[in-house]
Amino acid sequence: MRSTSRGLLFALALTPLLTGCFVAGEEGSGSDANGGSAGRLRVALAVPPVQALSPYSNDATVLSKLSVAEGLTALDQNGAAAPALAKSWKQINPTSWTFELRKATFQDGTPVTAESVVDALDHANAAEPKPRVLSDVTLTAKADDADTVTISTKAADPVLPLRLASPALAVLAGKAYGKDGTVSPIGTGTGPFEITKLIGKSKVALDRYDGYWGGKAKAPGIDVTWIADGTARANALRGGDVDIAEWIPTAQAKLLDAKTRHEVPSVRTDSLVLNTGSGLFTDPALRAAAREAVDGSALVDSVFGGYADPAQGLFGPAVSWAADQRVQVTGRAKAATPTQVKAETKGETLRLATYTNRAELPEAATVLQQQLEKAGFTVKQDVREYTQMEADLLAGKYDALVFSRVTLLDTGDAVAYLASDYTSDGVYNIAGLKDSEVDRAIKSAAEEGDTTKRRQKIMAAEAEILRTDAVVPLVHEKVVQGIATDVEGVLLDPRERSLIDVDTHLK
Amino acid sequence: MSVMSAGTEARPSPWRAGLGRLAAGTALLTAVAMLPWLSGNDPALTVLRARSADQDPTPAQLAAVREQLGLDEGPFTHLAHWLGGLPRGDAGTSWVSGEAVLPQVTGAFAVSFTLMLGALVVTVAVAALASARTLYLGSRRRLHRGSGAIGVAVLAALPKFLLASLLATVCGVWLGWFPSSGWAGPASLVLPALALGVPSGAMIGGLLDQSLPAAFNEPWARTWHAYGYAPGRVAQHALRRALAGVLPQLLPTVVALVGGAVAVEKIFNIPGLGRLALDAAIAQDLPPLQTATLALILLGVVAGLLIQALRRALLGPALRDGALPAPHAPAASRGRFTRWAAVACGLVLLALVTAGLLRDPLHVDTAARLLPPSAAHPLGTDALGRDLLARLGHGALRTVGVALAVTAVCTLAGLLLGMAAQVGAGLTEVVSTMPAVLAGMLTTAVTGPSASGAALAVCLVGWTPYAAQAAALLEQERASGHMLASVSFGAGPGYLLRYHLLPAVLPGVLRNALLRLPTTVLVLASLGFLGLGEQPPTAEWGRLLSENQPYVELAPWTVLGPACALVLLSVLAVSATDAVAGRGPASVRTSRGSRGSDGKTFGRDTIPVIVSRSS
Repeated sequence: MRSTSRGLLFALALTPLLTGCFVAGEEGSGSDANGGSAGRLRVALAVPPVQALSPYSNDATVLSKLSVAEGLTALDQNGAAAPALAKSWKQINPTSWTFELRKATFQDGTPVTAESVVDALDHANAAEPKPRVLSDVTLTAKADDADTVTISTKAADPVLPLRLASPALAVLAGKAYGKDGTVSPIGTGTGPFEITKLIGKSKVALDRYDGYWGGKAKAPGIDVTWIADGTARANALRGGDVDIAEWIPTAQAKLLDAKTRHEVPSVRTDSLVLNTGSGLFTDPALRAAAREAVDGSALVDSVFGGYADPAQGLFGPAVSWAADQRVQVTGRAKAATPTQVKAETKGETLRLATYTNRAELPEAATVLQQQLEKAGFTVKQDVREYTQMEADLLAGKYDALVFSRVTLLDTGDAVAYLASDYTSDGVYNIAGLKDSEVDRAIKSAAEEGDTTKRRQKIMAAEAEILRTDAVVPLVHEKVVQGIATDVEGVLLDPRERSLIDVDTHLK
Repeated sequence: MSVMSAGTEARPSPWRAGLGRLAAGTALLTAVAMLPWLSGNDPALTVLRARSADQDPTPAQLAAVREQLGLDEGPFTHLAHWLGGLPRGDAGTSWVSGEAVLPQVTGAFAVSFTLMLGALVVTVAVAALASARTLYLGSRRRLHRGSGAIGVAVLAALPKFLLASLLATVCGVWLGWFPSSGWAGPASLVLPALALGVPSGAMIGGLLDQSLPAAFNEPWARTWHAYGYAPGRVAQHALRRALAGVLPQLLPTVVALVGGAVAVEKIFNIPGLGRLALDAAIAQDLPPLQTATLALILLGVVAGLLIQALRRALLGPALRDGALPAPHAPAASRGRFTRWAAVACGLVLLALVTAGLLRDPLHVDTAARLLPPSAAHPLGTDALGRDLLARLGHGALRTVGVALAVTAVCTLAGLLLGMAAQVGAGLTEVVSTMPAVLAGMLTTAVTGPSASGAALAVCLVGWTPYAAQAAALLEQERASGHMLASVSFGAGPGYLLRYHLLPAVLPGVLRNALLRLPTTVLVLASLGFLGLGEQPPTAEWGRLLSENQPYVELAPWTVLGPACALVLLSVLAVSATDAVAGRGPASVRTSRGSRGSDGKTFGRDTIPVIVSRSS
């Protein structure tokens, strides 16, 4: 008996040596003539891959952040379409466009041809479920010759070049597309960096792709670690384990050295969405009372630690053209006084929802609760993980929601957000808004082809939406990116689509 | 119930125990398999959300996902399909990623298992330190006063995630001794193992420390000492004697960390099984969730069998031959210090709570954010400028009340299941390794989000330590000579329960329950993200700690107050019961001891026993 127990203990003690199950620090194959892994960028990203970096999932942004894959177009600083794999394009008629391809090669050595572009778009079209960017459009691509592609849409689509910049429509080499519908960007992109090894949800290694059409990247490679916890990401940067750490939580930002802390206005707007479809806030006077009671600027220096801007409307400073073309809101309902609110609600509780996924939101909800209580409401919070409450939100089971929303979705076009969130038949219409004026304004913006006029109409639609008090914008978020002092050329992108490109390198 | 057959049938038959394990495992797996259909959250929506954060939930998209996953086929088809694949080594593909599940789960399991072994080493070291004094003095028969349980109560009350944050910041970032995160080599194991192992070690050490005096109080130890045996030898055998009762605690305390260390895995960015299971549960990604559950069930059963084998090896033939005395502590005075500690902790807590109750816990003042302690705010303010003393005071009654109620229910359930050794053993092993989050998910699926849901969920899994402990202590008690004597004198089950079984079990289980009180508080709060428990902004100690965790470094006082309150509570609970047990004339132990030595009843001291052969 004794010997058995000793044997067991011995076996137990040996196990750690035997299991050897640490995630080894893969350094890619960076041991070229320049020697070892010198100069490789170490990056901590926040959202671990969900579908092995498939462009049809959340992971698509990783491909564009790390300059792995490209589409026909890209977005420039102002959010306009810029050339990428297509060097130029023109609209032939309202529903068709031709794109001239540049000379480029995939990372597996094969050339980028019109056929490969058509193939890539066909695969995106056939993906189940469809990528979001294609959900409201039906497009067909046709190869005219080796380097010309004609893309036609069923209905006129004025923002097609913007749409094609979406990371979900990246053009990958033929071998990327599996028979079972999976897509693998490993070694199949066209960008300056090539994925060499993906280790589960923890790490990915990239090497420079020397055949990139835009010239050789300055950094020899990138080693990415996914760190979901914000504090751990900040710690990794402070401890010198990584050179770049994205999305430092506002609670941690102050701990970073000022020289490594870079703030970027984000296209994310946090707002209080009021349920106009059922419950308390079907009454416009109560909505107006809530709007007047709520003061988003109180959140800026407290909950957001200064990393936010007070709300100006639905679109914040990150949407550069919004401020100049903003339309004054008129015709709002008159707010009920606290006494009226008490009488109107008859002691009915305001169900205030928010979710835990973004650390600031529960804190913001508590501040708002106090503001709303001052205006005469009786408030009860419900705070859960987002997926635990999404179905309830869409079913209109709450009176108000503190919501953080990206205002420029993957089309890079503001109409998509307005249409899904505020039109009568919008699929993400948590406010339950059914207002014919709003519908008309959004429809008119969606149909406008001219960029300047489209923007004007978008801002007119914003004013219409704000008139209804279905949504009270609180703050425009800022993103804090942690970048070590010896890194140069990191892209600070409000759309969170790019981070590293050919010019990013260690000093 | 097996209490009826107590004493006569010492060992559960292996077949029935095996059947118990099988039944418990099957029930749990079936419950998990039903989860996406029971939860009321459309799995198509959660899977779609997990794949893409800004995908519009249009009916067409949801239908596409539903068809792709075959959700309309219902849970049993899926379960059958998954079970059918297992013999081929195919655990299905993830609903979210479409990748094979088995390699993911085995990889994560290996990581978590290694982490658990690291934590085990720390646990053993801390437990050894915690019981060293008693062991040293006891083996020399100089143990006149019981050792203070205060040190272990303090350590056991430390929240693991707070310890993890602290270690990552101090040893990882400031000092740079170890990596602050990641899982790249043995160096990354050190900090997480410490964060997990120190509180566990204190817990185990506390229990060991409590049962050692009883072992030294046994007649053999006196005899050996009188014969001049070396203290080391006495210590070794006393340790074997005491360990046998404490070992089963490793299962719910340390082995359970394989699936239950989510917070620490997050803080140190460790790709472990806890995070995998949590992500899968949130996305309602059934295949990985099922496979992880199965892995944890198997782990629980294997670890349970291993621990049982170790116990048998330690106690040897004494257990088999029914020749054990049950370890009963001597009625040693616990010393003035313990009493004073209890009084002091009680007074401080009372003062804190009274002072806090006079203030407003909900008043938000964004201008007074994260203020350090001052005259206006004696414990400082939190990130929203709320007074921490007020929040502590207002949260006290609810926190302590709910935690005590949950602990009472768990203890009772544990005792009952521990007595039903045959069914209980399997169930205990299977449930021991279940993360509380899974119980929370199942609870939400049935009852929906509710204030009492958290308590219910914790009760579902929280009884295992007490059941394991009760079963182990009862097994020893049933194998004791005086039980046999009682039975042969015609004692009924009621008498046996009152005078033998309960007195043998209660002190240990009580100590265990009180040492786990702070953990219960934290686990209750950790289920908030499922909508279980009191919603914010209600003050509650567990929530105070978790909502202020991001500010540990920026404003340490935001967590210091609540953490100290938990420590005070733990020390108060443990030392108060010690003080009462140490001198209370009405306590069962003392009255039994005196009767035993009178020889009027079936005193155990009159029966010669051999603990074990020296080897």
